[in-house]
Formats: sequence, C-alpha cells, structure tokens
Amino acid sequence: MSKQITVVAEVRRHDPSQPGEPHYQRFEVTGIDSMRVLDVIRSIYENQAGDLAYQFACRVGRCGTCAVKVNGVPVLACQEKCKPRMRIEPLTPFPVLRDLVVDRTEVEARYAALKLTPQRTSAHPGRPEPIEPAVAEKLCHYDLCLACMVCVSACPAVAERAFDGPAYMLKLRHMAAHPADSANRLDQALEAGMLECFNCDVCTQLCPADLSPAQAVRDFRKQMIFGGGKPA
Amino acid sequence: MHEQPEVIVESTDILIAGSGAAGMRAAIAGHDTGAKVVLLAKGPRRANHTRMSGGRYNAVSGANPKDTPEAFYRDTVESGMDINNHELARILAYEAMDRAYDLEAYGLAWDRTEVEKYYMSMTGGGTFVRTLGSIDEGIGITEVMLHQLHARNVRICDFHMLVDVIVGEDGRVAGALALDLSRGVWRFYRCPTVIIATGGTSQLYETSSGPAINTGDGIAIALRAGAELVDIEFMQFIPISFVYPPSARGYTLTEPAHYGMRHFDPNAEAAHLVNNQGERFVLKHDPVRKEGSTRDVLARAIMLEILEGRGTPEGGVLMLPDKQVFEAFLKERPTYIKRLLENYGEGQARLEAPIPVMPSALYTLGGVRIDAWCRSRVPGLYAAGEAAGGVHGANRLGGSSMPDIQVFGRRAGMAAAEEAKARGPVPEEAGIAQARARASALERGMHATDGVRPIEVKKRIQKLMWDHVGLVRSGPKMEETLQQFGEIRAQVLPALKITGKSRILNREWMESIELGNLLDIAEAMASASLLRKETRGAHYRTDFPDLDPQWTANVLVKRDGAALTVEKQAVVCAEAPQTQLDKHKAIA
Repeated sequence: MSKQITVVAEVRRHDPSQPGEPHYQRFEVTGIDSMRVLDVIRSIYENQAGDLAYQFACRVGRCGTCAVKVNGVPVLACQEKCKPRMRIEPLTPFPVLRDLVVDRTEVEARYAALKLTPQRTSAHPGRPEPIEPAVAEKLCHYDLCLACMVCVSACPAVAERAFDGPAYMLKLRHMAAHPADSANRLDQALEAGMLECFNCDVCTQLCPADLSPAQAVRDFRKQMIFGGGKPA
Repeated sequence: MHEQPEVIVESTDILIAGSGAAGMRAAIAGHDTGAKVVLLAKGPRRANHTRMSGGRYNAVSGANPKDTPEAFYRDTVESGMDINNHELARILAYEAMDRAYDLEAYGLAWDRTEVEKYYMSMTGGGTFVRTLGSIDEGIGITEVMLHQLHARNVRICDFHMLVDVIVGEDGRVAGALALDLSRGVWRFYRCPTVIIATGGTSQLYETSSGPAINTGDGIAIALRAGAELVDIEFMQFIPISFVYPPSARGYTLTEPAHYGMRHFDPNAEAAHLVNNQGERFVLKHDPVRKEGSTRDVLARAIMLEILEGRGTPEGGVLMLPDKQVFEAFLKERPTYIKRLLENYGEGQARLEAPIPVMPSALYTLGGVRIDAWCRSRVPGLYAAGEAAGGVHGANRLGGSSMPDIQVFGRRAGMAAAEEAKARGPVPEEAGIAQARARASALERGMHATDGVRPIEVKKRIQKLMWDHVGLVRSGPKMEETLQQFGEIRAQVLPALKITGKSRILNREWMESIELGNLLDIAEAMASASLLRKETRGAHYRTDFPDLDPQWTANVLVKRDGAALTVEKQAVVCAEAPQTQLDKHKAIA
C-alpha cells in the first residue's frame, strides 16, 4: 500500500476581487499512490501555496462540499483517486468565489423554492408513521443525496436547455415517494424542466452516492404518461 | 496604524453558531417559538459533524416492554461513570423518543421491520436493544432538517465564522462578532441571545474522526465570554477507525463490522481484535466483556498495543470480522460497505479479510456547562450538543449523541426565544465598540509579512495533544505540555504569517483565528486532566491508573482575563422528577 507516486496538478487560480485573469498554476506532489485528489490539494496548500482557496470538511464523501472538476469531469475530491496528470478546476457552471471554491447561494435558493419537506394534510401521529418498510428504504436512499452538484455540473441538458438539473429531480422524486406528501411533485418537476433531460445517464454514472437521478426522471415520465399516485 | 475595519451591524433575536443538528434543531424551535433566528455555518451549511455520523439513535420506543426511559438514564449514568449531570442525562432519556418522532415528521424514515414497527439494534454500552437507525445515516438527518429550515425561511449564513460573543456592561449578551469568510467582511449581530452549537474539538488531535471545521471555536468563545466548562478533560476516542488512505485516516469504522452478531444479540461476541503477534490483547484489559467492552477501554487497549510496538506497519491493529453479518450490513449500511471496499479492498468489504483499525479522536464529552434549558452562567448565552458538557459524563453510549443534539438543540432554541421575548431588543450601541476592537486586533494578522504559518502551529498542537493529552496521560508529560502551550501562546501566536492577502476565503486567516481557540481548549483540557488524579472513563493516567471514589466529581474550568482556573465540584445529582419534566414540556 505504500507505493509512492508523483503527480502533476495544474490548479485553476482566480480571485474575482483582484485584477487579473484566471490562470493555471502547476504543482508536483509526491505521496502514496492511493491518495485522493483532496490529499493532493491539501498537500499543495500545506507545502506550496498557502494562499490557495479550497473547500472540504468531512474528507470521507459525506458532506459533499469538496466537489471539483478533474480533467474536465466533476468529482468529489475526497473520493477520487489521484491521476498522474490532473487539471483541477472549480465546479462549473457555478460562480467562483475564489480558486476552487464556488458560491452555492443559488443552489440553496432552488432547493428552498422546491419546498422539499413532506406537505402534510395531517400532523405526524406521534408514534411510528405508517410507511411500508420497502418504501422507507427507498426514501432513505433518496435522502442519501449529498447535494454535491456533481450531477448538475456534468449534465449536458443543464448546459444547453432550461433544465434545473438532475439533483433537483431526485429530491422531488424523494418527496413524491413519501406517503405523507400531498404536493404535486410532477408539476414541480415539469416546471423545473424535467422534459429537457436527454436520459443520457451521465448523472447516474458520476453520482458519488450511487444514486440515479435519471431514474427519478424516468419515474416522473412514466407517471406523466400512465398516471398513478404514490410509487411503491 | 491600520484603519478601523468596517463592521456591518444587523439585529436578531437569536444568533445560532453551527449548522449541525443541534444548531438546526435550535433554529427550528426558536423560530417556532416566535423568535427571529440567524444561523451561522463556518463552511457551507452541509459541512458539519452530524452529517458524518452513522445516525444511530438511542430511544425507548416501547417496542421492548422491558426497556424504560429510567433504564436508558441509568445506562447513561453508568457509562458516564457517575459524573454526568443527572438531570441532563434524565432529560435525554425521557425526551429522546419524542424528538425521534419529530425527525420522522420532518421527513426522515427510520428503518422498519413492519409498517408501524421500527428496526432496532444494539450499540456500545447499553443493556437493551434500543437503537433506531436509517440507511441515510447522518446525511439523511441533516437533509430533512435543512429543508425544514428552508421551509421556515430561516436565514442561514454560509462561510460565517463566529469570532466572539460580546457581553455588555450589564453582564448580559449584547451580540456576537462574526467574520464572513466568503467576503472577508466583519459582521456584528446585535442580539440578546446566542446559542453555541459549534460542535466539538476533535481537530485538537493528530488523528480524528470529525470534520476539519471542529476546532472548538464555540467552546473557547463561551469560556472567554465568562461561561464555565465542565468535564473538558474527557475526550472520547473511537477505538475502530480507518488507518489509510491519508484522507480517510481516523474516520470511524464503528460499529457494524466490530459488533458483528452482537448488533442483533447482546450476548453475542464482538469481532476479535489481534495485534501483530496474533494475540487477542483486549482480554488483558477486560476479560469479561472482551471486544464488546466500552469504547474507552477498547481505544486505550489498542493504543497501548500500538505504542508498545505490537501494531501493524501502518500504525494499527487487526480486526477479524464475522462474515455471516455481511448480507445484513450490505442492506442496512451500504455506505459503510462501500467505504471498506474503496479504502481497503473486496476481502475486507465482504467481511472476510482482517480489517486494519486504529483509535481516533471522536467526540468532546465535556464542554460548556449548561442547565436543563442549555443556559450557561452568562445571561443570554446558551450551548447545546457536542459543544455542551455534562450529559454523557466520562464516557458516552454509542447512539446517544444523535438524541442529545435533538433534545438539547430544541430546548436551547425554545429557552432562547423565551428569553429574547422577555428581554426585548438590545440597546443600539451596546457591544459595538468591543466588537470593533476585536475585529481590529484580528486584522493585524493580515498585515504580517513574516513568521510561522498557522498550519505548522496547528500540527504542533495536534501532536502534543495526541501524545500527551490523548488516550494515555501522565502528570509530568502534561506539565511539560502546558509549558509548551504557554510558549506557543507567548511567542508563536503573535508571530503568525498569512501568505496571501486576499480577504476572500483566506484559509490561513481563518486558521490563525482557529488557533487561538484550539490553544484555549488545549490548555483547558490539559489543566483539567492534570487536576483529575485518577483514571475514569475516557481519562486514563499512567500515574493514577485506578478509579478514585473521591473523584466522583466534576472539574470546572473558568477564565478570568488570561488566567485559567480549574476546580473540583460535586456532581449535580438532583434528579429531575417526572413532574419536573412535565413542567418543562408544558413550557413548550
């Protein structure tokens, strides 16, 4: 496990508060070959560039705040194994605060606008709420979404069309699956551009939590055509 | 001289620092009690310790008629080795289940075996099977709560670091100073109440399980503002965590693979732990409970093996999992199995090959001393969750931090809202001059061109804490360590260098402020540990290796200017009778 590797990382640097255009700075980092992209970024900060802005917290794939693009592909920096040559950039298409950190203000506003709490017609019973075990399991899987924005960054429909993005479809499907939710989540999905999805499944392939936003879109489309209430 | 920095002023009823579950639950309760709430997150709002938890939740659901809240309370105090604040422990036991239903009302789906029957399992230390869980773990808990905040339109300020609580001339909270890290702008929140929900201080240690933001800011800030700390000498180490790769080192591996069949049956054996000689070394320390012993005993046993040279080359020991639980855990804890696969390999993920493990700093047992409604001794200053002390005593039951943050987060929010209402708005000018002076002092670091980088000092403190104020402690070593902390404070802290001068997300600037907090808590921990001349729970001294009944007491830490005082005090044994609890509920 202790094989060493030296990687070359080109990191995009930009401080929007200062004059000057974005540029790439080249670093070499040596460490064990199983190190993650985040290990490389942290090493650069600790040993070579004390002025680098980057974000992470949990380092184990749970907080979802370290997402960056590596060689053009959005990934969680803490989960992605390092590559011999890497171009590391902030997640697109979000506004950059500085270097590798993006501003998520608009992301959170979108989540808030979707009202992602069960819209209850009656209060919780104050004892175990009647939910089929299989449905509970499904709700939990939807709830594992990290909101890391890897899927939104990778989605070709987001880039080209009026589509909020896969992550929001998944959370709307989460609410649609909740037995206590009475809102019309299909209408919300349509308003958020659900029909613009190409069904390419890139979101599913890249999701760090192994979820499938594309399947959520397919489920909504099925519901739109064939009807049906709460999915089993 | 540099000019005075601009400080943007705004008003609120309650300011909450911390975006984990304690802070979010306080925000929900504060808002629902009619107060205006602002919540600060040091990083993006999803960067918090709750998120990293396995989400196991102890509560007496009624599913097992033999179990009672009283039994849960007794387990909590037994695990805490009798120095818990008994009233807080009792509140935890009696209110946990209602708060679990709140989470379900928010949208969480607890695992079920039947439509209206929760799936229960066992965690470290309890006498009954009383732990709820959900596949989405801490991630799910934080997500459903965050959407509740969104629904209530609670203002959440990402990248806002609490810097100090400002106490007015009347001795009450007048507001708080925060640094908006994303813009490099100072903000003063004029408010009658502040809730510290900033979590623990695991970043004091070289190997830790928590998030990078847990630098004990809130605990240090409360101490500076005049609050007392209790039980701060007790740091819980998780015995079972990943050894490699570097990014995952210290991340918890508890408890599925470790507990094995014990997860379902309290009489089953936990996974065996062996050193590099193949010996089951835990038997030397706890021949009765063996590897099913409490976290403190296991962590210390593993650490001693490593320190005495019987560890693996990577610095751990080996855990021999029970493969018959693989199918159950693949379904129940898929994320856990995935981590094993990514970090170690298929053999370990299938629970067929030995899993390298090591101890890691997990949970700050002590913290701000609070009463039943989370009040510190400073009027207007509250604390809840990991930042508060007294609930768990000298050791915490696995599965008890999740109910703690729900139960006491809610109490803090409700009580702060009531106090804000009773007190009314803070006078316009109160506290602003103090806030400006503090901001001005912290601007100076930005202008230093030469000196030591904060990260180097942080690593030095982490190593000293890991080596001497960690799992294995002794008087002489802690005295030496305190002396070194004194030198760092006198000579190194004033000479910190900040490489870049951008005000936007300047990590070194943030770290230089964190360092002051880390050092304050490091000194408090070492001083309290030095005073406690015995071994109890998470606190192990080689020079006082036995439990001393004289020390069934708490250590309080106070600060007067720069001077720290530590003193012994009797345990708060006053049991909250049931009627008292009902009265508390009635206030809701």
